[in-house]
Amino acid sequence: MAFIDYYKILGIDKSASEADIKKVYRKLARKYHPDLNPNDETSKVKFQELNEANEVLSDPEKRKKYDKYGKDWKHADEFEKQGQYQHQRQSSQNNSSQFNDQDYSSFFESMFGNMGSGRQKTTSFKGQDYASEIRLSIFDILVSQKQTLSVNGKNIRITIPAGVENGQTIKISGHGAQGINGGPNGDLYISFIIDNPTKFKRDGNNLHLEVVLDIFTAVLGGEITIDTLSSKVKLTIPEGTQVGSKVKLKGKGMPIYKKEGEFGDLIVTYTVKIPTNLTEKQKELFKEIAKA
Amino acid sequence: MEVENLISLTQFCEHHSIDKDFIFSLNDHDIIEVITINDKSYIHIDSLEKTEKIIRLHLDLSINIEGIDVIMQLLEKISNLENELILSKKKLSIYGIE
Repeated sequence: MAFIDYYKILGIDKSASEADIKKVYRKLARKYHPDLNPNDETSKVKFQELNEANEVLSDPEKRKKYDKYGKDWKHADEFEKQGQYQHQRQSSQNNSSQFNDQDYSSFFESMFGNMGSGRQKTTSFKGQDYASEIRLSIFDILVSQKQTLSVNGKNIRITIPAGVENGQTIKISGHGAQGINGGPNGDLYISFIIDNPTKFKRDGNNLHLEVVLDIFTAVLGGEITIDTLSSKVKLTIPEGTQVGSKVKLKGKGMPIYKKEGEFGDLIVTYTVKIPTNLTEKQKELFKEIAKA
Repeated sequence: MEVENLISLTQFCEHHSIDKDFIFSLNDHDIIEVITINDKSYIHIDSLEKTEKIIRLHLDLSINIEGIDVIMQLLEKISNLENELILSKKKLSIYGIE
């Protein structure tokens, strides 16, 4: 294959500094980037050439080797006979080249193996994120609490804020896998599963509770005591309470996430239990009421 | 929205080794749309090509989000103009004008 002059590709002099190479590469990469030149095969080829040139010339060690042997590329076979690059050449022949459909320098391949674009080689990557689950009871999240997790042998102390939602995920930055090529560490994502074995139904910060009244309390009114998640509350039932009527108990719901001391509401819905197995006397009394 | 047309943002970011915050910033700038269902974020499969193009521009050319926004708008304009040009050429060819 023909020798390709990387300096010519970048349009720079052999004495160009690293900063010059970087500057020129960036400028040309912007000009020929395939995403900025859709449906333009020439730009695509040019961009690959630029990446290859930059890959070599931006690395002082590679550039030194290139400068030393590049001029004599026509005699590369002789160098090979001398065994200078035998090992590298063999591995190059065994590997498929990313640029195999282009007229790229085999010097590049023989010396550095099968390399990708500049980005693939030089960019550092963030480490992989980890995901974990924590199962809690609804009673556990009435107050904020601290827990210690063990992730890859490291203990991480986390605060679980009161009122965390079922399925909610929190991110703990930097506690995932280690970054690649000096990139930042990944993050740890913790999802919460909140078990709710109670008769309270959660709707965001609010709780819903269905309370069954006996027919006499519903008709005549009275007082009942109900349980909330944290205490007992006495409720006055007005005369003639209808099925499905609701009463809101302010501040008796779930703690509001990350708002210390603030709570949602408890919404109580009344239903009425119709008595069965009435005695004869009770039936008579109902009949009298019905006639009245 | 059908879930099978959505791609998990976590998976997407892992695959491309890109920070989720970058994708959320694109969403904040109305460049792409991030869909959140049950606290999980997704991108629509139709946005995949565009998002990957943006990532390449960001990583290859160090273009910031504002720059990407301008580029994407200009690329769209160019594409529309090219289509108009093709259409006009076709119309002219009807009258034998090349």
